[in-house]
Amino acid sequence: MGIEVKNLVKSFDKKVILEDLSFKVDDGKILSIIGFSGSGKSTVLKLISGLIEKDSGEIITSGGDIAMVFQYSALFDSLNVFDNISFALQERKDLRGKYTRKELERIVAEKLDLVGLSGIEDKYPSELSGGMQKRVSFARAIVTEPKIILYDEPTAGLDPISSTLIEDYIVRLKNETNAASIVVTHQMSTIRRTADSVLMLYNGHAVFEGTPEELMEQRTPYTKQFVTASIEGPMNMKG
Amino acid sequence: MKIYYKATYTYKLYRMFIQELESFVTTLGNIALLGLEFLKGLRHFPTTFKSIMYQASRFGVSSLPITLSIVGMTSIIIAMQVAGEMVKQGAGNYVGMLVAILMVREEGVIMAGFAIISMIGSSLASEIATMKVTEQIDAIRVLKVNPVHYLFTPRIIAGTLMMPLVVIVASVFGILGGAVASNLVSGLTYKAYFDSVWFGLYMKDLNVCLLKSLTFGFVISLISCSCGMEAKDGAKGVGVATTKAVVWSFVSIVVLDLLFAAMFFY
Repeated sequence: MGIEVKNLVKSFDKKVILEDLSFKVDDGKILSIIGFSGSGKSTVLKLISGLIEKDSGEIITSGGDIAMVFQYSALFDSLNVFDNISFALQERKDLRGKYTRKELERIVAEKLDLVGLSGIEDKYPSELSGGMQKRVSFARAIVTEPKIILYDEPTAGLDPISSTLIEDYIVRLKNETNAASIVVTHQMSTIRRTADSVLMLYNGHAVFEGTPEELMEQRTPYTKQFVTASIEGPMNMKG
Repeated sequence: MKIYYKATYTYKLYRMFIQELESFVTTLGNIALLGLEFLKGLRHFPTTFKSIMYQASRFGVSSLPITLSIVGMTSIIIAMQVAGEMVKQGAGNYVGMLVAILMVREEGVIMAGFAIISMIGSSLASEIATMKVTEQIDAIRVLKVNPVHYLFTPRIIAGTLMMPLVVIVASVFGILGGAVASNLVSGLTYKAYFDSVWFGLYMKDLNVCLLKSLTFGFVISLISCSCGMEAKDGAKGVGVATTKAVVWSFVSIVVLDLLFAAMFFY
C-alpha cells in the first residue's frame, strides 16, 4: 500500500502551511513533490516522518520503518561512517545488542556497496565530499530496511554530475527496497529521472498532480510557470 | 481622536517586557521538561559506560587546567590581600583557616562552576545547538532513537559526577596556593598555615561542598543541553543558544549558592 495522506492540515502560528492535502504513493513508486520555497514541501516530509504533529487529517502507512534523507545529509559529525550507518542498529532501544560487531560490519559494508562507497567505514563526514555525504546518508537511511523513504531536496548544493549519480541511487534504492518514496525537489532533472508521479504545492494546496510527462506538457498555468521558471504566472514568491 | 498607542515607547517597552517574560518562562519550562525526561529515562539507564566516560573526560580532564588556574589565582589573591594584615594584627595563625573556609564553602565550588560554564557548558550548548540547526537531532529522531537518552543522559551524568571531583582538586589546589602566597607575602610558615586549616572546617562544610558541586554539575549540564536544544535559524541561533546557556548557568549557580548559604549556614 505504501503511504496515503488524507486531508492533511498543518499551520504554524496561525499561518496555514498545508490545507486539505491528499495523495497516495504505492510501494515501489516515487512521488516527487515540487513547488516554491515555503510552499510546505518539507513540512509534508516532517509530518510523515513524525518530526512534527499534524493539526488534522490522516497519514496511513503500510507499517515498517520510515527513513528520511535530509537536505544537507545530517550525518553525525562526531561519528565515523561505520557508526553513522549502524547508528540505529546500535542505539535503537529495540535493536540494541541484537547484532554482533561482525554482523554490523557486514550490514554496513553491504549498504555502502549499494551506494557505491565501499571501504570508507573509518572516514569522518568532514573527510567526504557533499555527494559522498549524501550517499552515506542514503546508506544510513536504508539500514533498517524501511518501507517508506523520504528525500528532502537530495540534490541540493551538488554539481550536475553528482546530482545525476544521486538520482540514479534514488531509483536503485527504490528497486532494491521496493519502498514507497517521496522526493522533495526543485530540479527538473530529478523529476524527469526519478519520479513516477508529481505533486505540485502552492499555498498549502495541491495545484497539480500527474506524471512527469504531463508536467512537461505545461497544460495548466501553474505547470507552465514552474517548467519555464517564469516570474509571470499565478504563483508569486510572496505566496 | 484615535490614539495610536502601539507607536508609543511605553507600549514598546511593555511588549519587550512581555516577550522577555515569555522567553524566560519558555526556557524555564524547557529546562524542567528536559530534567524530567532525563530522570524518567534513568530507570532504563539508556546510555553506555563508554559514552559517560567520554563526556567525563571532557568535563574533568579538559576543564581542570583552567579551573585550577582560576581557583589557584583566586586563593593567592585572597592570601596576598589578607595574610600580611592578619600577621600584623597577630592573627597569622588563622590565615589557613580563612582560606580553607573560603575555598571549601564558596570559592572552590563557585569558581570551578564559572570555569566549567565557560569551557564545558558553552561547548556543550554550541555542540547541541549545531546538531539542532544541521538537522542531526531530527535525524536521531527519525532513526527512532530518543535524543534525550542518547545525547543528554551521558552529558548530564558525567557533569553531575565530575563536578565534585573537579571541585575537590580545585579546592586543595587553592588551599596550597594560599599557603605559598602567605609564605611569600608575609613570611607565614607552612606549619602555622596548615595547622589552622582544620580549625574552621567541619564535616558539614565538606558535605555541603560535595552536595553543592553535585547540584551545580547537574544544573550546568542540564541548562547547557536544554538551551542548545532551543537553537534555531542557523549560525546566529547557535550563538544565541550558547550565550543563553552561559547566562542562565551563571545566574542559576549564583542563585543556588545563595540558597545553599541560606539553608546550611544562616
